[in-house]
Amino acid sequence: MLKTQDLGYWYQDKTQPLFQGINLTFEPGKSYAILGHSGTGKTTFLSLIAGLDKPKEGDILLGDRSLKQIGLTNYRRHDVAIVFQAYNLFTYMSPMNNLLTAMAITEAEHAGDRAYAKQILNDLGIGDDLIDRNVQHLSGGQQQRVAIARTMCCDAQLVVADEPTGNLDEDNTKAVIDQFQRIAHEQNKCVIIVTHEPDVAAQCDHQYRLENKQFTQLA
Amino acid sequence: MNFFKRAWLNIWAKKGRSILLILVSSAILMFVLAGLLIRSAAVKATETAKNDAGATMTLSANRQAAFKKMSQSSSSSSSKTSRPKLTLTPVKLSDATKIAKLSNIKNYNVTSSTSANAKSYDTVSTTTGMGGNSGGPGGMKSSTSSGDTQIDGVTATSLTTTFSDSQSKITKGRGITASDKNTNNVVIEKELASQNNLTVGDTMTFKETSGDKATVKVKIVGIYKASSTSSASAGPMSTDPSNTIYASYTLANTIKGSKYAGTADSVTFNVTNPAKVSATKKAGNKLISSKYSLSTDDASYQSVKASMDNVEGFANKIVWLVAIAGTIILALIVILMIRERRFEIGVLLSLGEARWKIVAQFFTEMLMVIVVAIAIAGAGGKFVGNQLGSQLVSQSTTTQTTTSTTSGQPGGSGQPGGTKGGSGGPGNMQATSTKTKDPNLEIAVSAVDLAELGGFGLAITFLSIMIASGGILRLEPKKVLIS
Repeated sequence: MLKTQDLGYWYQDKTQPLFQGINLTFEPGKSYAILGHSGTGKTTFLSLIAGLDKPKEGDILLGDRSLKQIGLTNYRRHDVAIVFQAYNLFTYMSPMNNLLTAMAITEAEHAGDRAYAKQILNDLGIGDDLIDRNVQHLSGGQQQRVAIARTMCCDAQLVVADEPTGNLDEDNTKAVIDQFQRIAHEQNKCVIIVTHEPDVAAQCDHQYRLENKQFTQLA
Repeated sequence: MNFFKRAWLNIWAKKGRSILLILVSSAILMFVLAGLLIRSAAVKATETAKNDAGATMTLSANRQAAFKKMSQSSSSSSSKTSRPKLTLTPVKLSDATKIAKLSNIKNYNVTSSTSANAKSYDTVSTTTGMGGNSGGPGGMKSSTSSGDTQIDGVTATSLTTTFSDSQSKITKGRGITASDKNTNNVVIEKELASQNNLTVGDTMTFKETSGDKATVKVKIVGIYKASSTSSASAGPMSTDPSNTIYASYTLANTIKGSKYAGTADSVTFNVTNPAKVSATKKAGNKLISSKYSLSTDDASYQSVKASMDNVEGFANKIVWLVAIAGTIILALIVILMIRERRFEIGVLLSLGEARWKIVAQFFTEMLMVIVVAIAIAGAGGKFVGNQLGSQLVSQSTTTQTTTSTTSGQPGGSGQPGGTKGGSGGPGNMQATSTKTKDPNLEIAVSAVDLAELGGFGLAITFLSIMIASGGILRLEPKKVLIS
């Protein structure tokens, strides 16, 4: 589904790349964890496959089309959904409006369908009493679940998450990872999670470690 | 068009910030509206001044040409005993009629003045410090050929500045009108009437001062009261203003002599549009010979116009300064707002939202604010405009008055043309007064003003969003969301 071809990235000095010559393939229906210490470049890698930044060298292919050909804005709108550590919901909206807004922007199949959005929120444990409340009045775990619901209501086949459990307790962490697994296995989407927590990574189908500018597959 | 919904949700959710924005925008637009209102009121006031302030054009003998002719004949004359004489040609009424046909002439007043000696009545004597020199009551009567009664021949008393400015008022009967032409009807002063027990309907007689010195019998059709200030303008050599009798110019001409039939000392034309007085004068000059001159008096109009031009200019500056300052203020607010909402913009970009739609969202939000602000400014702008306008007008009028007082020359505005035989005679010092009305700004909010305000509001919003949107266009979602 998603392929990286000799992918490389550096900030200022080409001679000191974060990573170089990366060739990875990510398949639909599977979850991937990218492990690594702070500063190794795993989040930068995620920003490249999420279409938030352009690679310095090499290419990223969705199917057989390069992201350059697709266009990053188009790619982000139709092909990829992102979950952030800080949730990054629209703070002036309710969970329902967050989902409806995301569906409208991404021109999702169910755009404007409140029942569909409500069903997803309910499935993720956001009850009817919470769906029209301002998201700032929800707990961290609930907000993260709304963020995951936002990715689920859109039609993107690729879901990328940057430290999605970083701000959550153990129970919420487990619930969130379970949701990502369901997205991968039940919705047949490709889920890529960047994390520094081995326990979280262990729950994913495949794990890669970014170390010494190279990716190593762990399992 | 999801950005409309987002804009509304944001405005509604952040009520405190929205109210603050509305207040700031209202204050800006209120001053813009005040400026617009003052400007349109000033334009309207200038238009009204054209009709109210008025301007006149006077046809009279060309003194300059007469002096030139006199000095030429003086140098060429061989006789040392005969002194050169200044001969002023009376205005021909046929010339006046031609000028009256010009498009910008509203009406005209023929003036022909002379003097006569009282016969059946006693003139009012003035007791002043000059009494010893003037030889008592009657003033110049004994020392010159001028009479003790000033006769002002006019077309209609209502057309004279003395009556139109309410310096003199008809208290009984009526004033002289065009229908009194070729009659012996007169209007006399209240004091003269009471001293001689005369009233409307009575007759009185006086004697001509020249020619066969015939007795003229006249009928009183009205009594007027001269303002007390009139006597102040009279010189020490003049008689009391109460001795001025108004009659038809035809009667004055008859007293002056048969050769003055169909003539006048001067003819004053009231101009319809004071702004075109110069053009009318130019057209009028083509119709008359060099023996006559046309002078214009649009001081009143010019005074109001200058005052209103000042106000209009200041109002324009207010509009543009407030609009520019408002744009800068709003732009700064929007820039701060955008900085505060970087994460929201980042998320929108990460969802694939087009940057122009994000800018459109901010524009829509500000538009909602501006619409409410326009309504508030519409309600409050009239009050601010009234306060500011009256202050401006009073300042501007004071400035104009000071300027004209400083630049005015004594006697400079006197009307050209004297009266035959009446030069130096009583009442001939009548000064031309300029009717200057205080300009008044009528501030009213019209649909056009609100539409103009809406335009300014829209422009201010658009510009401030455009200035501030640089931040949105440059924003990299990765830096906001991931770093």
